[in-house]
Amino acid sequence: MTMEAASSVSDLGILDCVDDASITEIMESWDGFCEATEALLNGHGDLSVGSEFVSHAHSLCKRSLDSLVQDHFLRSLEETFERNGASRFWRHFDAYTHVEVMEMSKSPIQENGIQKVLYKALDDVSLEKQYQEKCLLMLVHALQSYKDSISEERHNSDAERIHLFSKYQLIVSSVLMTTLPRHFPEILHCYFKGRLEELSTIMAGEYEDDNESDDKNDMDLDEKNKVSYRGEMDIDECYERRKFLENNKLVKNIGKVVRDLRNLGFTSMAEDAYASAIFLLLKDKVHNLAGDDYRSSVLESIKEWIQAVPLQFLYALLAYLGDSVSYDNPSSGLKSPLASHPSSCYPGIDTPSEGLIRWQLRLEYFAYETLQDLRIAKLFEIIVDYPDSSPAIEDLKQCLEYTGQHSKLVDSFISALRYRLLTAGASTNDILHQYVSTIKALRTIDPAGVFLEAVGEPIRDYLRGRKDTIKCIVTMLTDGTGGNPNGPGNTGDSLLEELNRDEENQENAGIDDDMNIDEKQDWINAERWEPDPVEADPSKGSRNRRKVDILGMIVGIIGSKDQLVNEYRVMLAEKLLNKSDYDIDSEIRTLELLKIHFGESSMQRCEIMLNDLIDSKRTNSNIKATITQPSQIGSELGETGVSLDILDATIISSNFWPPIQDEALNIPGPVEQLLADYAKRFHKIKTPRKLLWKKNLGTVKLELQFEGRAVQFTVAPLHAAIIMQFQDQTSWTSKNLAASIGVPVDVLNRRINFWISKGILSESLVTDPNDHIFTLVDDMVEPSKNSINAGSCEELLVGDEEGERSVASAEDQLHKEMIVYEKFIMGMLTNFGSMALDRIHNTLKMFCLADPPYDKSLQQLQSFLSGLVSEEKLEIRDGMYFLKK
Amino acid sequence: MTTVNNGYQDNNNNPAVAATKQPLPPAKSVDTQSVLKRLQSELMALMMSGDGGISAFPEEDNIFCWKGTINGSKDTVFEGTEYKLSLSFPTDYPFKPPKVKFETGCFHPNVDVYGNICLDILQDKWSSAYDVRTILLSIQSLLGEPNISSPLNTQAAALWSNQEEYRKMVMKLYKAV
Repeated sequence: MTMEAASSVSDLGILDCVDDASITEIMESWDGFCEATEALLNGHGDLSVGSEFVSHAHSLCKRSLDSLVQDHFLRSLEETFERNGASRFWRHFDAYTHVEVMEMSKSPIQENGIQKVLYKALDDVSLEKQYQEKCLLMLVHALQSYKDSISEERHNSDAERIHLFSKYQLIVSSVLMTTLPRHFPEILHCYFKGRLEELSTIMAGEYEDDNESDDKNDMDLDEKNKVSYRGEMDIDECYERRKFLENNKLVKNIGKVVRDLRNLGFTSMAEDAYASAIFLLLKDKVHNLAGDDYRSSVLESIKEWIQAVPLQFLYALLAYLGDSVSYDNPSSGLKSPLASHPSSCYPGIDTPSEGLIRWQLRLEYFAYETLQDLRIAKLFEIIVDYPDSSPAIEDLKQCLEYTGQHSKLVDSFISALRYRLLTAGASTNDILHQYVSTIKALRTIDPAGVFLEAVGEPIRDYLRGRKDTIKCIVTMLTDGTGGNPNGPGNTGDSLLEELNRDEENQENAGIDDDMNIDEKQDWINAERWEPDPVEADPSKGSRNRRKVDILGMIVGIIGSKDQLVNEYRVMLAEKLLNKSDYDIDSEIRTLELLKIHFGESSMQRCEIMLNDLIDSKRTNSNIKATITQPSQIGSELGETGVSLDILDATIISSNFWPPIQDEALNIPGPVEQLLADYAKRFHKIKTPRKLLWKKNLGTVKLELQFEGRAVQFTVAPLHAAIIMQFQDQTSWTSKNLAASIGVPVDVLNRRINFWISKGILSESLVTDPNDHIFTLVDDMVEPSKNSINAGSCEELLVGDEEGERSVASAEDQLHKEMIVYEKFIMGMLTNFGSMALDRIHNTLKMFCLADPPYDKSLQQLQSFLSGLVSEEKLEIRDGMYFLKK
Repeated sequence: MTTVNNGYQDNNNNPAVAATKQPLPPAKSVDTQSVLKRLQSELMALMMSGDGGISAFPEEDNIFCWKGTINGSKDTVFEGTEYKLSLSFPTDYPFKPPKVKFETGCFHPNVDVYGNICLDILQDKWSSAYDVRTILLSIQSLLGEPNISSPLNTQAAALWSNQEEYRKMVMKLYKAV
């Protein structure tokens, strides 16, 4: 209406100079024109009023009212279309208001229904539109002919026509848009999904048929895909053409729908609908292919599939719509790297259009993203399976390179770790194993180690809170040789292997250094420099220093290598003391490897321990050699039947060994004499040194002879001393026995269980509940009942587990350190009254320079202090610590 | 090392240390090292000794300045009291004795109102064989066995003969603090 008003105003000048007669004439022709328009538009194909319409239009134009004519006609068109076209069109879909529900049920009949209705509705509305366009054309011609008649020169008729038609197109789409029912996009989506699925099954069928013919063998999915990859490359044009002829009808149908929709102004909606359908299909495909199998790479097969199905479809569709005729524009900035050699990438498609490349990039990005999300969600499981799952890791790496969503990986993996690994239920060994696998896996994805740092932090924090972490790490480091059957074989293997690898790396690094002198190499290195990823923490140093080094990261858990070395020393001491031969080859090897990593000086004590063993071996054989010169005691011993031959000594420089548990023990006389003789001979060879025996340490091999049979054991000296007592006297009370051996009764009761469990001794209670009687079981129980066998080495281990360890454990040492700290803390609080946590921490750092110096963290100190508070030695008020009075 | 030296300079307002510092030649780093070591090992020994009733600890940033605590021995008039002391070590320790003062007021024949102590081993009878522990133990025993012949606090010396009154005086002054 405003338009009409505006044009009226502009015509005012004309109106001034018209007389009544012409006004009447105008009115008549206007009414005539309106009637003709009405008749024409509602004429349902009847164009008989055409001539009348044209003449009215001409007469109005004579009065320069042509703009009024156009506006009125367009308005009429709009009203008619609204009435006849749009409302009728939408009415078709009324039955599908609840299309989502329907989609759930996935009824194929319904889908078919949609298809039919959509076709019909589109046909109808297109017909209507065509008719209206015809009418519009008539108006254009009328105006044109008028213009031609009044002026000699030709007007640019095309401009007029294009202008009117675009106006009309706008009217059509705006009418449809304003009346658009909410469920229409879903109907479209549903339609495209159905068609695409149909198409992909057809294509996949052929795709697989092709494979079958290539290789008849029954193969699992991934292999099949591999073959199909090869097959795809071999496919000739003929094959492609044939396939597309078969699919042509389907593609044509879809193409028609898309074209119709475009004509109605639904270009973007249609594109959205088929794009989302393709993406959905792709997502399904990725999920199908990737699934829960991490042992094979799926990226290639996904890419292949994209080439084979959706891109072929899009190619056909675009070709049908006439979009793909435009050749690749060389100035296009959106070219994919693949576009430089399109012929090899698009089997059967000779001229990839820019649109198609854009589609391919979109699809590939989407596929990468989907696969990446899928893998990231399962990253925990993938890493659990690590060496087997490396193809999946490799896939993920490629995806991340493409999408750059590393932070997603970090966040999701950290939360998975917290939820699944860092819980009280997981054993420290498992956590460490997972940590090592994580390091290895993430090293593949991100060689610079930036994301590893973020992911590793929570694991390290958690492990620091566990007591047995150090022990587990040392076990993993040293027990890789498989010498310990109950040790964590695989885990250990990986770490020992890491030590080895490290050694090789260092050798290689040496070579590299030499080459670095070369300027050329310098230049190459400089050119290869890349900035850190943006996610890198600038406080953590640059990437050259952030070399991903598993051992370093493991040691990082503990905080200082000293603690690790100390624990290793304790473990080594334990191992060496329990050795009955002097075979330390594997220990020497491990030590050498550790030396490379931790430096000579920190492993010095361990080296001395190993040297002690080597020296012991030599000294031992020297002493044995002196037996040939009989000494007085030696001859006496000969009578008792115990000779030096059976004794092997381990001579240690105890200053360099960890503190050794000393336990008094009376050993049987002949053995005592033997030891004394050995010590004497040692003193003779090595004057002025003297041997001090640690009689509770070592192992004794002994044989118990009963009537009819003999049993062999390898036991601790205390066990041997106990059983020796029963040689002369078959029954002992625990008090007497303890006194005779020289150990406390409770120790005796604990250790004698070994013999009771073996069925060698039996225990009976007497009136005094603290006194037991142990009797030698003379007529032995059947061998089947007691599980004595020759290889009773494990028995020794069992016995040792319940009994004392020969070396003070690192834990004990830690306890000793803590006592020193306690005294210092007491001292400072006595003199300063009250102190805050950090002041205590600083003061300890400053003044507690004992061996080893104070090296605890604030958190460790805090937990120690709260221990003292709970022991009621300290009080804490407002963050200040006091002595408890 | 450097921290300790800095701390030392920060504490120049302490007259005892400042006084001994002036006459010393500046380049005595080797000596300072050994003094530090000595003080550190004395601290370690003191902490681990477990002697009851005596304690001392360096102030936060200066190992030359210690705070000490002495509890009055049982069966003396000082039983149940706790006295704070300050010990400042010269840079040529242990060849010179540390300056020891009571920070808590102490009613004692050999302690003046400023807390200065008259004890032979802290003056002319000093020997480098003494250490913080023996100093503290000597002061602790001095509490129970004063040297009446050369008193700094004559009132206390006069009252010493009457142990009951003396005890009352000690507790009165102690509580007042």
